Amino acid sequence: MSTGGYDRAMDTDTYGESFEEFRKSFSYGSRSDLNFKFLKGMSDEEASEFFRHLLDRLGDAYDTGDLAPLIQLAYEAQIQAYAPKPGSPPSRYTYDDGPFAPTSMPVAGSTVGLVSSSGHFLRDDDPKPFGIEGMTQAEAEDRIDDFLREAPALSEIPHDCLPDDLAVRHGGYDVTSASIDRNVSLPVDVLAEAEAAGLIGGRTTTYFSFPGATSQGRLRKILPEWIDRIAEEEPDVMLLVPL
Amino acid sequence: MSVGHVARAIEETGTPTVVVMVRAFRHVAERMTLPRTVITPFPMGRPLGAAGDTETQLATVTAAFDLLDRAAGPGEIIDLDLPFRPGWSTSLP
Repeated sequence: MSTGGYDRAMDTDTYGESFEEFRKSFSYGSRSDLNFKFLKGMSDEEASEFFRHLLDRLGDAYDTGDLAPLIQLAYEAQIQAYAPKPGSPPSRYTYDDGPFAPTSMPVAGSTVGLVSSSGHFLRDDDPKPFGIEGMTQAEAEDRIDDFLREAPALSEIPHDCLPDDLAVRHGGYDVTSASIDRNVSLPVDVLAEAEAAGLIGGRTTTYFSFPGATSQGRLRKILPEWIDRIAEEEPDVMLLVPL
Repeated sequence: MSVGHVARAIEETGTPTVVVMVRAFRHVAERMTLPRTVITPFPMGRPLGAAGDTETQLATVTAAFDLLDRAAGPGEIIDLDLPFRPGWSTSLP
């Protein structure tokens, strides 16, 4: 149910912007913030409830200092916004069955490979999307439609690379956490720790990353080349991390 | 969805795979019938845990390794119950 304040916010004559325009502006619009682009996928009613609860919990945090309820609310809203809507057409990439390769040995004795769609790359090996070297994150976000039409580049990441060797750029999500700590999406150091702890038998020499916001059709066409390159690393098992 | 295609293609060559993704994308794992999937209760952009939280990140990949060791068929999905930030008493729902 709408409140009086909500009704006034919807009055474009008063504010020049509808609430729908406001919430959609966080998704590649005037207020673009990829942490909150999910607002575009909500109804006005759902989004207004999100903001109401957000402010309510913020008010509580003044006294408690506890930010967990705020993060929990945003997390729940993401799930709500990205859930398939009733009556929406099925994805063309829906499968009733899937391939399955049994493991031949315990993971503790296996060599583990890694592919992430995080968009990490070596600073001295910029994939130069659209021929642009040094494209910034902001520029990548501005060109998200171009990324979604093109095939992605697969970047090779040495398993012993240092944090400063890497950069991350991806037009589809907020890369702040991945910039602070690559292990949130590209677990280079975590896999080294896992090997040291005996959880895995070893690591492939090279890992891989690409920006996952891409043309699915073009990706599928170049996949055989990727699979051949990944196989050269001779992994026994693969860890895959989508963003 | 991109990584789903990669997972299926690698698995078809005979190499076992496990995917770790945030809960907002759980429906993708379901409809693509990925070989093995670990769902993490974390915000988007942080599928393995919060920045600097090495303990949770290691626990997440350990869960993925456990699933590799025990999964008997395609499409198995496990939902992790881990706190997003160190010191939080409960996980996100």
